[in-house]
Amino acid sequence: MSQRRFIVEPRGLVSLRLRILIPVLSVVAALIVAGIFLAITGENPFAVYGHMIDAAFGSQRGVSETLVSSIPLILTGVAAALAFKMLVWNIGGEGQFIMGAIAAAGVAVWLGPDTPTIIALPVVVLAGAVGGAFLASIAAVPKVYLGTNEIITTLMLNFIALNLMNFLIFGSFSPWRDSEAASFPQGEQIADAFRLPEFFKRLDVGIFIAIALAVAAWYLVSKTRWGFAVRIVGDSAATARYAGIGVSRKILAVFLLSGAFAGLAGGLMVAGPVGRLDPLSLNLGLGFTGIIVAALAGLNLIAVIPVAVLMGALNNAGPSLQSIGVSAATVTMLQGAILIFAVAGEFFIANRIRRPDRETVIEAGETAEAA
Amino acid sequence: MTEGTQAAPAVELRNVDKAFYGVKANNHVNFELARGEVHALLGENGAGKSTLCSILAGLYRPDAGEMLMDGAPTQFRNPKEALAAGVGMIYQHFRLVPNLTVAENFALGHPDTGLRLDQKGLHRAAEELGETYGLPVDPSARIWQLSVGEQQRVEILKLLYRNAKILILDEPTAVLTPQETTSLFTTMRQMAEEGRSVIFVSHKLHEVKEVSDRVTVLRHGETVGGVATAEAEPGDLARMMVGRDLVLPTRSEEKEPGAVMLDVRDLRVDSDRGLEAVRGVSFDVKSGEIVGIAGVSGNGQRELALGLVGLRTPTSGSVSIDSDDLTKATVLDHINAGLAYVPQNRLGMGLAPGLNTVENLALKAFRDPPYSKRGRLIPSAFKKEGARQIEEYDIRGVRPGLPIRLLSGGNLQKALIAREVEMKPKVLILRSPTRGLDVGATEAVRNQTLEERRRGVAVLLISEDLDELLALSDRLLVFYEGEIVGEMRAEDATAERLGLLMAGQAEGGAS
Repeated sequence: MSQRRFIVEPRGLVSLRLRILIPVLSVVAALIVAGIFLAITGENPFAVYGHMIDAAFGSQRGVSETLVSSIPLILTGVAAALAFKMLVWNIGGEGQFIMGAIAAAGVAVWLGPDTPTIIALPVVVLAGAVGGAFLASIAAVPKVYLGTNEIITTLMLNFIALNLMNFLIFGSFSPWRDSEAASFPQGEQIADAFRLPEFFKRLDVGIFIAIALAVAAWYLVSKTRWGFAVRIVGDSAATARYAGIGVSRKILAVFLLSGAFAGLAGGLMVAGPVGRLDPLSLNLGLGFTGIIVAALAGLNLIAVIPVAVLMGALNNAGPSLQSIGVSAATVTMLQGAILIFAVAGEFFIANRIRRPDRETVIEAGETAEAA
Repeated sequence: MTEGTQAAPAVELRNVDKAFYGVKANNHVNFELARGEVHALLGENGAGKSTLCSILAGLYRPDAGEMLMDGAPTQFRNPKEALAAGVGMIYQHFRLVPNLTVAENFALGHPDTGLRLDQKGLHRAAEELGETYGLPVDPSARIWQLSVGEQQRVEILKLLYRNAKILILDEPTAVLTPQETTSLFTTMRQMAEEGRSVIFVSHKLHEVKEVSDRVTVLRHGETVGGVATAEAEPGDLARMMVGRDLVLPTRSEEKEPGAVMLDVRDLRVDSDRGLEAVRGVSFDVKSGEIVGIAGVSGNGQRELALGLVGLRTPTSGSVSIDSDDLTKATVLDHINAGLAYVPQNRLGMGLAPGLNTVENLALKAFRDPPYSKRGRLIPSAFKKEGARQIEEYDIRGVRPGLPIRLLSGGNLQKALIAREVEMKPKVLILRSPTRGLDVGATEAVRNQTLEERRRGVAVLLISEDLDELLALSDRLLVFYEGEIVGEMRAEDATAERLGLLMAGQAEGGAS
């Protein structure tokens, strides 16, 4: 082994400044890398970014659409952050999101247009949460009681949920499908009573629900007795068991809560901008984008909110790029780059790198074990 | 290798420095190892013994200073190079592959090992070496089937098979019974007589006195001195080691124990593999009494503790605390019944490593006021109680928000014990409470244990450290293969008597 040029060592305390600075730098780095790609393809990256900022924040309509896009991302971001904090690797936010949408649309269609709004709105919102939690439970219960790997089960359940939605609209004459749609199959429009009131162009009150629930989740984890127990479990399950905490039940609860948040995102989409079970506008990977949001937010439940708005802005700006002849896939590339840099940034938050002062450390365990 | 003159030492370190994260683990260390000697390295935990050994074994490279072998400057880039030059180390945690046989472990990493294993040759070599050095092992046994003492033999034989000229043994006696220790010492002497050099790391004075030719004492990363063992008084060595006179706590006042607080009847508990590890054990601990459980590690002590605190449901028998039957109760029931437990694995079980010290101090009490009210945490109570306990129990190095895992071992243990003691328990179970701690922290932990006894707590001390058991216990039980094979009052106990029982030699007349 040759002399090392740099030394990596864990940081003890991480300052707030660093916690904010590093994610911001991660985004900047992603913009630079994506900018290089844009330049190679012959675009002016500054023009493209300028256009994106303008599309996302440059007009009242832009701001409204950005916030509309951020509603589901706040919730799927909280879903991922909650689970990951507890070392529950729920990557089924996508499926839970769709299941929430199916449940919300189903309840709305089933109850019909005569339902009073005062009942209709809570019911549709709750149905979304229950739908997501239900799908999560299919992975959560075997994980907790049989030790199955939730990464695999939640991933596979994503496909089941997606195909179920496609089946309900394209593959059958289910109640979810609009029986009067003449040409292309589409979902049955839900009654106005179930639609969230809009107050700023297309922006509906879902934004308040999402922010309030993100704050509530933060409060639950940081400020309550239950949350303290959950944090102990997330830090060390063996220690939690030793301290008399019911570990299985805590993991189960967090898993279901995570599913509920993702499902709620789907429910709010149906009750909000989409208005029916529409595979084309619900299959956008918002559950997966939630994972990016959570990672960039450093799993901080409050930081999820601004990060979701940023991601919402990107999603919103994508389609408008086509008007200047740039592929909308640019946004996908940018999001991918942001995820990579955000994850890499985590490393810099946890560790510090410096030049050795005449000091070489060879990792004790590794070298000896290899010998 | 040069044909060194007799005068040149086998290994010499000159002014060696080694720092980790700016902390000097070795500071201008000088060390000389002659051929054919057993050389003891004496020092407290954190004195730099392990660092020094790791430099010799090629694990670390010194920041400054020289290393000479047979008079020639040498540098090892990794342990493989060191071993090729004849320097081998036996670590406290063995580096054996549990699922392979003894012979196969011999072949691991050996330069002659090709694609095919010469099983016959390996078996023969293992048997011959074992016979020569009085270290019998079954070459076809798998490592996991062997006792800790036998595994250590395999490690030594492995180095001899590699023909190591310099053998470094890092605290080898920590896991052995007194009898096994004696036999290890015989082997060490034999190796020295053959012209090999043995470095023996220890912090036990009487062992150093018994086996070594010379002693080098380290303190705070510096060499305080090297002396011929025969000329050194134990008291002088102790002073060199700690830098002051030692005052070990002793049981001061003799007081009759009170009512039975912990009552265990015919307890049976399974091991992780589902085998019976605790086999029908009965004893009690009274208020104001310290009962010590002696035994070589791995004889069911871990399972006994798990069974007593509710982490593992016993297969039969009963456990009661202050007459409450808790045999099948949950961990929380045990806690609420007044049971405190200091586990051996501090960061793996006793503390939440990523949470801060104040949070860890509330790890069990957070359910009740003042820490929480109606489901809400009360941050001011955390702060106030935490500050008080950090002050009262002298927990050092705490900074707000700093994860507790960054504290030193002694401070971790002080925090852990503070939390358990603050619960005002009826029964306190401690497992190896001073293992790995320096003298200062050991003193604090032992005094705290005696303080609890004074307060009328029933203390069960499960330890492998005989000195500690003898210093603290009122009564001693010896554990061997999951059973109690001996019981005695502290004043009747000696290390020899305990050692025989720990090795499974039943006493005449003992039940």
